[in-house]
This record gives sequence, structure tokens and C-alpha cells, in this order.
Amino acid sequence: MFQSRTGKLKVMGVKILLDKAHVEGIRYFDVYRREGGYQAAEKALKEMSTDAIVEEVKKSGLRGRGGAGFPAGMKWSFIAKPEGVPRHLVCNADESEPGTFKDRYLMEFLPHLLIEGLLISSYALGSHDTYIYIRGEYAWIVDILEQAIEEAKANGFLGKNILGTGFDCNIYVHRGAGAYICGEETALIESLEGKRGNPRIKPPFPAIQGVWQRPTVVNNVETLAAVVPIIRMGGDEYAKIGVGRSTGTKLISACGNINKPGVYEIDMTISVEEFIYSDEYCGGIANGKRLKACIPGGSSVPILPANLLLRTAKGEPRLMNYEGLSDGGFATGSMLGSGGFIVLDEDQCIVKNTYTLARFYRHESCGQCSPCREGTGWMEKILKNIDTGNGKMSDIDLLWDIQRKIEGNTICPLGDAAAWPVAAAIRHFRDEFEWHVLNPEESQKRNYGLAHYADPIYVATP
Amino acid sequence: MTEFNRLVSHYPEGKQKSALLPVLHLAQNSFGGWLSSDTMDYVASLLQIKPIEVYEVATFYSMYNLKPVGKYMFEVCQTGPCMISGCDDIIDYIGKTLGIKPGETTADGLFTLKTVECLGACGYAPMMQMGKTYREHLTKEKVDSIIAECRNNAAANN
Amino acid sequence: MSDSTLFKVTIDNITIEVPAGTTVLNAARKIGGEVAPPAMCYYSKLEGSGGKCRTCLVEVSKGSEKDPRPMPKLVASCRTTVMDGMEVKNITSEKVIDARNGVVEFLLINHPLDCPVCDQAGECHLQDLSYEHGKEGTRYEFQRRTFKKHDIGPYIQLHMTRCILCYRCVYTADQLTNKREHGILDRGDHAEIATFIEKSLDNDFIGNVIDVCPVGALTDKTFRFKNRVWFLKPMDAHRDCPTCSGKVTLWNRGDEVFRVTARKDQWGEVEDWICNTCRFEKKKTSDWVIEGPRMIDRHSVISQGHYAGNVGTTIPTETFEKVHNGRQPNLLMDIHDVSNVNKQHIRLSLLERPAHSTDFTPNQD
Ligand SMILES: Cc1cc2nc3c(=O)[nH]c(=O)nc-3n(C[C@H](O)[C@H](O)[C@H](O)COP(=O)(O)O)c2cc1C
Ligand code: SF4
Ligand code: SF4
Ligand code: FES
Ligand code: FES
Repeated sequence: MFQSRTGKLKVMGVKILLDKAHVEGIRYFDVYRREGGYQAAEKALKEMSTDAIVEEVKKSGLRGRGGAGFPAGMKWSFIAKPEGVPRHLVCNADESEPGTFKDRYLMEFLPHLLIEGLLISSYALGSHDTYIYIRGEYAWIVDILEQAIEEAKANGFLGKNILGTGFDCNIYVHRGAGAYICGEETALIESLEGKRGNPRIKPPFPAIQGVWQRPTVVNNVETLAAVVPIIRMGGDEYAKIGVGRSTGTKLISACGNINKPGVYEIDMTISVEEFIYSDEYCGGIANGKRLKACIPGGSSVPILPANLLLRTAKGEPRLMNYEGLSDGGFATGSMLGSGGFIVLDEDQCIVKNTYTLARFYRHESCGQCSPCREGTGWMEKILKNIDTGNGKMSDIDLLWDIQRKIEGNTICPLGDAAAWPVAAAIRHFRDEFEWHVLNPEESQKRNYGLAHYADPIYVATP
Repeated sequence: MTEFNRLVSHYPEGKQKSALLPVLHLAQNSFGGWLSSDTMDYVASLLQIKPIEVYEVATFYSMYNLKPVGKYMFEVCQTGPCMISGCDDIIDYIGKTLGIKPGETTADGLFTLKTVECLGACGYAPMMQMGKTYREHLTKEKVDSIIAECRNNAAANN
Repeated sequence: MSDSTLFKVTIDNITIEVPAGTTVLNAARKIGGEVAPPAMCYYSKLEGSGGKCRTCLVEVSKGSEKDPRPMPKLVASCRTTVMDGMEVKNITSEKVIDARNGVVEFLLINHPLDCPVCDQAGECHLQDLSYEHGKEGTRYEFQRRTFKKHDIGPYIQLHMTRCILCYRCVYTADQLTNKREHGILDRGDHAEIATFIEKSLDNDFIGNVIDVCPVGALTDKTFRFKNRVWFLKPMDAHRDCPTCSGKVTLWNRGDEVFRVTARKDQWGEVEDWICNTCRFEKKKTSDWVIEGPRMIDRHSVISQGHYAGNVGTTIPTETFEKVHNGRQPNLLMDIHDVSNVNKQHIRLSLLERPAHSTDFTPNQD
């Protein structure tokens, strides 16, 4: 157990999603059911009106777990309900943001939790044909999900007249084929229609005209799974977990140079320091090294040096939740994003890391709009030059100017996602970029190291 | 064909184009691991869409191979989290062991090495995709045994 | 909301009333002049077009009378509809100018700048745009993108390196013909216009892709290199065509018709689509009933030709400086050095004869 800063001994964090993940055979219907599964679905379909379910989700304060953090209940209440036009719920299982692998964990180990969440949500939204859009590379998970769907159907939880309520619902798994951009909800819809994953120009929003021009809600896997505990315990109880507007629990996929990479459920009350160093979570930096930097919410959120990661600019411990991680804005903070927590130790090179991310975004740009199509490739080329010892001092300012001209000027947020990592790396690690430029040969033999990036930052308090 | 019909049945009447991605996966698996223009034209005729609609989609997504590939594809992730966990060494090692560079196929047509971007296994890095599954926590020894395993399988199936 | 509802919108301090549902771009075009943002991908006659090039970005400083909050980001004016009481800044916004300069730079970094050998020179919207917004010199120090060459048939020439991926030609093929054969292949910075397997585009109306292309990526093979547009005399003409309206612009010199295009309005959009027969096959003046000289927008390079006055324009008395509100002509860059098109040892300006194809690097795309 971890001795927290306040000196209190902390009990293990609340778990409501992964609490049963280690039960032998939980992947299969019988075990899941025996462990209390599908009770929330029974409650929702038999005892609750669709409006009441939306109301519970609103009360829970659940925010989208796919990255943007938009309140789920509010999103559901926007869906248009024109007479005679079918509506659809689509589950976003595209999970391609570097550092993020939590949805995969849920689907591999707890497929019925997702199916149950989908059933309740489909009922609330009036979706009779619900789709899971899964990234193409997760090929074996398609089988797991399809098997779970068959089991649920055989047991009367999917198909026609579910639980005798007259509600019909089918769930289909739609496999993508390698394109990060299909995680963006309108690109996902295009892809579901059998087209290139070009994001649509909004408006119209999916809630009005989504897949096949029908009203559509797109939600992340974890968001939809969280509906199950919300219905089981009630929105108010769910909202008591966590702090402020960060309610409930969040899955964090931790990776990089830590002792225990993996997927953790946190209740959003712990500090970043505790998350990294406690044995319940990451277990500290691997090989006894020191922490240099961290990208706390998936590759597109700003990277922070160790000093700003553990403490906010005000000198307070930074908390692992929506507000805590974004404290200080982009100047000194970051974002919770998708929960992809990437830790870099003292021997990692920020320039190289930024270069691989720039390469990633160039590779994944759909190419529709000029700033992203042209700007991502340009940034990648410059970063490669700096990384390989061929950079110029002016390149750093040029990079800054390019990212600035991409951000906010594109069709979809991938442009921003490509700009932010470059901006944050230069903002916080400019010295390291300059060192690369000034020491082209040495930079090919050794890394810049920790430098001052873990030194406490003293902020004068007025 | 039953699988084709099953896939198409997932989508509303008249929206059979929606089945294009899953059907292309099926076609790629059934026709030697890649999509020739004949295969794509065939898919277009099955789904009653224009051939160009198939080409546009097939060239957009990175999992469709538009050229023949080896029997075993090693798709090693090279994005940030895998990079800081040492994927570069693994890519080098596979390349040296097989005598090919990323993007190439061995002369015997057994192996293709490809570098890819984040596959959602960052916590289990270094890693690669091989067919339908992932191979994670790669080390040089593990790479050796995977290559041996592939060679054995190929020999057994001949 | 009935169609007759009028919304008040103020763009660059000029207020105008437009029917509900009008886009900011079209409202600005009604005001005209510099208030109208440049549009490289939007095409009013092509459904679904717009939103992609980002040259038409504007700032919405007031959302509407009901909700006066400004919009947080610049928006694509071609895809944003006006709200009652909306206030928009185009050239009066520094943010817009800055972003637009950025977009133009992005569009140019991989552009071959082979204007000296491009048939579109003089009619190219990218050329116009870079005169307005371009900087001298480029900050892009890498090899420009290249593509494998595709032959798309006897009528239309494709120069992929010049393409800005506006998607107009794709929409044209989708909406004017029943069998689209070309499209956008690949993705990101490698996306290209192509047919995948070499195929000629030969639908009756496919020639219109030449007219919608804002740059020289799709040009008329039956005209290529025969002449520079500014040496030609545009005439409105028509013929009794069974397939299309037959209303065209002829580009001739003497009695020879070098090129047939659709008639274009002041925004560079065609007035009526024309068929391939009119465009590619009717190359004799006697095929046509000549109506008279075509009026050409004074802004265009074409209208600066020495024959001015004969073709409906008057000889401009203003200097470039005056036309451009005090801005000096701003050459984009030294084409000779950066384009890789000319042979480096040949100075075109020193030749004693007109430049000839052999003066340029061969096999340039
Ligand atoms: C480039 C890009 C990639 C995205 N990838 C994903 C993804 O892989 N999974 C996901 O759930 N959301 C992703 N999103 C966010 C979705 O657009 C959308 O906001 C989300 O699915 C909504 O679900 P939520 O409200 O439950 O989070 C992505 C967004 C962008 C712009
Ligand atoms: S921002 Fe990038 S990914 Fe998004 S639409 Fe534009 S080009 Fe495509
Ligand atoms: S070829 Fe021309 S019309 Fe077609 S996308 Fe490119 S620039 Fe646009
Ligand atoms: S970075 Fe390699 S799997 Fe995510
Ligand atoms: S004209 Fe509006 S984005 Fe291209």
C-alpha cells in the first residue's frame, strides 16, 4: 500500500469496471451472468423508461472516455428523433491513439460488460441495429465479440423481443482496416458506410445525420461499458466516486519506461506521483532510472517534463483526473485525453520521440485538407533532420510556425493532434532541440539526458 | 459465399456498400493475401458498386496489400511508445536475420518485414502483428523462435 | 424557417441581407470585391464540394443576434451558413490573413511551380492566390513530391504534381456522368487523382473536369502547348448541340479554334456544362455561331494581353500598384532557381526567340 503525501494510508481505489476482470472464465456468458452480469440490463429494460436511463447517465456526470471528455448524457439527449427514421448507436472501438490500449483490454477480457452496456444504451437511444467499429488489427477480438454476441442472443439478451419487453436489438461488429483517422466519429461513420475514412465537414452533426443519413450516437467502448455500473448503482452514487467534474473511474493504459505497464482503473482521486510510483499501479520507473517526461493522455496531448508533471505550476501535487491534468492550460498543463499514459525515463530523447509522433500523424492524415496534409509531412521532415543531426537553429522556429498554422485551421481535430505534441515538445524541451542542432555529432552518440527537467519549479507566490 | 452473405446482412437493404471493408478482408484472405485489380473488380461486382469505389477504399487503408506479400508478414510497430521500449533494435534484428529491409520480402516468399504505426499494444512493447494475432514483449530470442516456428509450419504444410 | 426569411449579415463592416441558408461565402460574393474570400475547392454547382482547401477561412466575431458569442476557431466560409445578425471578418481580420498565408504556403510547398510550361498559366487560381498571399522565397527545403505518371486518355492530361486535391473533378464525374472512373487513391500526402488501372476517361461530359480544376492538373490534351491563353481571343459562341446547351467560349487566333471551354462567370465557375463533342471535336470557326467577344475579369492575367480593347476590356490605365491597393507586385520567387523546370544554363529572358519546349527540362510532369 502506498503512503500518500498526506500521510494517510490509502485503501485500494474503487473498481467498478475491472473488478471482475480476473474471475476465471468471465469472458463467457455463464460466468459473467453468475457474477451478477446483465442485472443492470434487466433493471433498465424492465423497470426504467428510456428517458429515465438518459437521466441517470446525465446525473452520473459520465464524460466521454474516447478523448474529448464530452458529457455522455448530454450527447444522448441531442439525438434527433424524426418519425420513421431508424437511429443507430455506434461503439467506437477504433483505439489507435498511440499509448492507448484500454478498450482492447475491456473487449478481450470483459466482452459481456461491453455488450451489456451496448444493450442498455441502445435501448435508451432506440437503436435496433448497433455497431461496434473495431480497428482492423484487433482481428482476434472480433471473434471474441462475435462469440459473446451469439451467447447473449442465445440467452435472450439480444435479438427479438428482449426479456419480453418488445425491444429488438442486434449488435454487429464492423472491422476497420488500418486507419487511425477512423477513430474520429464522422470518419468512422464514412468508413462504416464502406468509404474512405475522410472526416465529414460539420454541421450536420451525427446526432442529426450520421450513418446512412440517420441520427447516430458514437461513443467510446469504455464510456458504454461504464453505463452498466451507472444503471446498477444509480447515477448519483456513481457521481460520488471521483472529484468535481471527474466522476466515476477511468481506465488508464500505462506504458513506456515503467516497471508495470498495463491497464489500470483509477478513481481519479490519486496524484500522478502516486500513479507512477505506487506498486498498485506503474510501480515506478524501470531499471532504477529517473523520470524525465510523460505524455499523460495519449500521444496527441502535450508532453510534460517531470517537474510539471508531478506538480502544477502552483506547486500543488497534480491529480490524475480531467481537471488535474489540464491545470495550467497548455502553458504548463496537459490533458487526460484517452488515458494513454506514456512515461519516458532519463535516457529517452525528446526529439526522436517527437519525430516518431510526427511521422505517425503524417502517416494517418486522411489528406483532405491542405494544412494537415502538407503540414504534417513538413514537420516530420524537419524533425527527422534535427534528430539525425542535420537541423538548423531556424528549424525550431519554423516548426513552431508550422504547427501554429495547422492548429485550429483543419476540418477535424487530427490537425490539432499533430500540432500539439510538436508545440509542447518545443515549449518545454527547447534546450534539448537546440542541443541537437548545436551538437550534431554528439547527439548521434548519446542522449541529452535528464538535464534540469526534473528540478522543482519555484513559482513566486504573491 | 456464406460468409459474404453474412457480412452483407449486417447492413440495411440497399446499403450493401457498407460491407466493403469486411468483404475486402475476406477477399484478401481468400485470394493469396493481397488484392489484385481483378479481385477488386470482383468485389465491386458482388457489391454492385463501381470499381473505382473499391480502389479508393483499398488504397486508403493500410491493411490491404496491393502487391503480393510473403506467407508470413512481420508488421513491427515503430511509434513513440514502442520506440522508447526498444523496437528499433528488434526491427534491425529481424532485418539482419532475414536479410531484408522493411518493406521487402525474402526471396523464398516466406517473410515480409513491414514497419507500422501504433497497434494498440504499447504496454507490451516491442511488438508486432503476425497475421491475425499479436506477438508481444519481443526479444531477440523470441524473434528467433518465431522465425523457426514459421519455417517449421511452412515446411509441414508443403 | 421558410426560404423567404432574410438574415442580416455583416462582412468586413458591410451589411447585407440574404435568404436563410445562404453560406457566408455566397453572402460575401454578393457584396463582391475583396470581401469575397478566395475559394479553391468550393464550387457552387457541385453538391458536397467545399470545406477542404481552407483558403476561404473567415473569423466569425459575432455568432448571431440571439447568440452573440464569437466562434472559437476560424471557419470555412463556404460551408458555414449565415445566422441573423452574424458578423464576419475576412480581410479585416489579422487572424484570417495569417491563416490564409499559411494555407497558401501549404498549397505551394509541394507544387512544382512549373508555371512557365503549364497550360493553366494565366487562368490558374493558385497562381492568383499566391500573387495575393504568397511570400517571396520558400521555407520548404525538401524534394517536392512526385507521382507515377498516369495516362487518362486522349482528351485529358493529368499532371498530378499540380493537383491541390480539391475533389472538384471527383464530384463532377459523380454528378455529371453515371460512371465515375477516376477518384482519389491512397491517403494523406500521397493521395492522388488516378484511375488505378490505366483507363481513359471517356464519358460524354467528363471534359468538364478540365474547367472545374482550379489549377493545371487537368488540362485539355487537344490544346496543350499549342498556345498561351493570353495570346488567344476568347469569343462567346454557340451551336445546336443535341447533348448539351452548346454555349461555349472559343479561344481562337484568326480563324483557328485552339480551344473550347465552358463559359465562366466572375468567380471562375462554368455557367453551363458542355459535352465532349463541343469541347474536343469542334475546332473550326465554321462549326460555331459567334456571338461576340467574351468579357474577362480584369483581374486575370488573360485580360492584360496586348489585344485588350478588342475583346471587351478596356486598356487598363491603372498600374498594378493601384489595382492592388498600393501593394507592389510581389513575385513569388525566382522560378528559374526553384522550379527545376528550366535548364539551369538557359536564361529565358536572354533568348532572342520565344522560349521553346527544348529550353525546358524534358519529361517534366
Ligand atoms: C483523430 C481522432 C482519432 C480519434 N480516435 C478515437 C478512438 O480511437 N477511439 C475513441 O473512442 N474516440 C476517438 N476519437 C474521438 C471520437 O471522435 C469521439 O469523440 C468519441 O468516439 C466519442 O465518444 P465518447 O464521447 O464516448 O468519448 C478520435 C478523435 C479524433 C479527432
Ligand atoms: S485535419 Fe487531417 S485528418 Fe482531419 S480532415 Fe484534415 S487532412 Fe483529414
Ligand atoms: S485534379 Fe484538379 S480538380 Fe481534380 S482534385 Fe486535383 S486540383 Fe482538384
Ligand atoms: S506504440 Fe507500438 S503498439 Fe502503440
Ligand atoms: S473554398 Fe472553402 S474550404 Fe475550400
